[in-house]
Amino acid sequence: MIDLLTGLVTDYTLRTVALGSAALGLVSGALGAFAVLRRQSLLGDAVSHAALPGIVLAYMLTGARTPLVLVLGAALAGWAASLVVMLVTRTTRIKIDTALGLVLSTFFGLGLVLLSIVQRSSGAGQAGLDRFLFGQAAALVGDDLVTMTVLGALVLVALMLLWKEFKLLSFDPAFAGAMGLPVRLLDIGLTTLLVIAIVIGLQTVGVVLMSAMIVAPAAAARQWTDHLGRLVALSGFFGAVSGLTGAILSSLVPHLPTGPTIILVVTAVTILSLFLAPRRGLLAARVRKFRQRRQLQAERVLTDLYRLAAQHPEPAEAPHAVPVLRTMTSPSGVRRCLARLSDMGLAVPDPDGRWRLTPAGVDRARDILGGDA
Amino acid sequence: MSEPAVRITDLTVAYGDRPVLWDIDLDVPAGHLMAIMGPNGAGKTTLIKAVLGLVAPAAGRVEIHGDVYAKQRHLVGYVPQRGSVDWDFPTTVLDVVMMGRYGALGWFKRPGRTERDQAMTALEKVGMTEFAGRQISALSGGQQQRVFLARALVQDAQVYFMDEPFQGVDVRTEKAIVELLKDLRDRGRTVVVVHHDLQTVRDYFDWITLLNVRRIASGPVSEVFTPENLGLTYGGRVEFLAEQDDSTDTVEPHFNPDGHGRGRP
Repeated sequence: MIDLLTGLVTDYTLRTVALGSAALGLVSGALGAFAVLRRQSLLGDAVSHAALPGIVLAYMLTGARTPLVLVLGAALAGWAASLVVMLVTRTTRIKIDTALGLVLSTFFGLGLVLLSIVQRSSGAGQAGLDRFLFGQAAALVGDDLVTMTVLGALVLVALMLLWKEFKLLSFDPAFAGAMGLPVRLLDIGLTTLLVIAIVIGLQTVGVVLMSAMIVAPAAAARQWTDHLGRLVALSGFFGAVSGLTGAILSSLVPHLPTGPTIILVVTAVTILSLFLAPRRGLLAARVRKFRQRRQLQAERVLTDLYRLAAQHPEPAEAPHAVPVLRTMTSPSGVRRCLARLSDMGLAVPDPDGRWRLTPAGVDRARDILGGDA
Repeated sequence: MSEPAVRITDLTVAYGDRPVLWDIDLDVPAGHLMAIMGPNGAGKTTLIKAVLGLVAPAAGRVEIHGDVYAKQRHLVGYVPQRGSVDWDFPTTVLDVVMMGRYGALGWFKRPGRTERDQAMTALEKVGMTEFAGRQISALSGGQQQRVFLARALVQDAQVYFMDEPFQGVDVRTEKAIVELLKDLRDRGRTVVVVHHDLQTVRDYFDWITLLNVRRIASGPVSEVFTPENLGLTYGGRVEFLAEQDDSTDTVEPHFNPDGHGRGRP
């Protein structure tokens, strides 16, 4: 542990990779929250795949591999792709999922073709480009880190400045439009921020896996909070922690690729959240359902007991035996239900083992049965 | 107050080749509570959206209190259909109501105490004060509708457009909403409501526009809400079972199903 901490401080590569991964996680997590709320998770996938031809073209045109140039190429291509998606869905009868699928595969295919052309035609210089497919965090250098941090900070500042506009756009675009907000411009603006957030992460995580960094932290965070501000913050936090953890894990284990490790970590966070979150979690839902069923079963035994007793002049005075109750609508667990009813003060056992309703139990049964009683 | 609150001239809206609204001319005088009625696909929602600039008209012009909508936006309040948003969105009742102030707030500014107070006042008017901190996902249909109404109230508008504010609302809430709308009208505001229930028209509204792609009729309820006009609006086969006695406000139309949906393919 101490080694790890000193490593983070002194080891240049580890520090760069860890910081870069955390930064990309933070930004993609925060923007991903909005993408998920606006049901645009797949847009992230399309944009990241579509960035590939932009990266290769930027390299072909400039011959440079400086991070800013490649990031710019990626951003332009990703942005163009998202505009094409918007245009296609707005002007044709093609639905959004089809448009996304079309754009994703077309751009990505083009990117692969261009990549193979570059790799065949030139020698050493292009070697770094294929790392954008699956990401190669180890290749991050100080320059990349600066680019990522500056772009990421810009995105987050823009998000905070336009917070209420983006919130209204995401919740009720028609109301925003009637109010005079330039909905289309805001839509393009928010999508542009998403594109930048994606592009920041491409070198580390790669175009293929990047969409997970958009969707997973937001899906995880949604499980824990019902507040937009906290959702975005938590999503960014999950993203950052996953990035950091993934980077450190991959530095500890030889030959463990950083990008995929980050994705596995963020997936683990999401799965844990899906199960464990207090109200929305599957476990909590299961427990609720179980309690509900117990309650219903107990109520059924209660009403059975009432129906039996109701044939006597004074319902509270008429005890019945467990085997009799078993022949009624309650098939199993009669004793457990009776114990529960007794805990609730609705039924009491007689010394001979037969059960009778308390006056409260009679009232309750009448309540449940309503008009039938 | 001689100029109309809303003046629509030659408005035509088409989705693709299909006209949804055809050559609508309509004046809504200020200080009235008006129902827009017509069969499914008659273009009621589209009319509101075209007025609010949410769908682009193929032709026509809309004026609010004497000037084009873009300049008069601050005079307009809007209640969209309840089903048009995702009620699982992570936000609270108070927050949604404050959204009504965003337009007046301007860019970059955050809502503060003033907006909060305005929102609370509006929530009080719709009887939702105790729900201010509630998640919107935990609301019933009627409560959702009241939140939307409160959001429109904080817009403090001259002209309100409401798309089916009674949809999915129980009778008591409906009456409460109507009282609010009448109160707005009595304070000189104009309220335009997409409405469905023929039974309640005479009780709720003083003005009505009957619509079926074209404007069929528009004017005071007492003059326009007639069997002949309803027949023209709903496809010409409306039979009235109730005796046409003006002292009873109930009119029970029976529709031939063929008469429905003339605007839809």
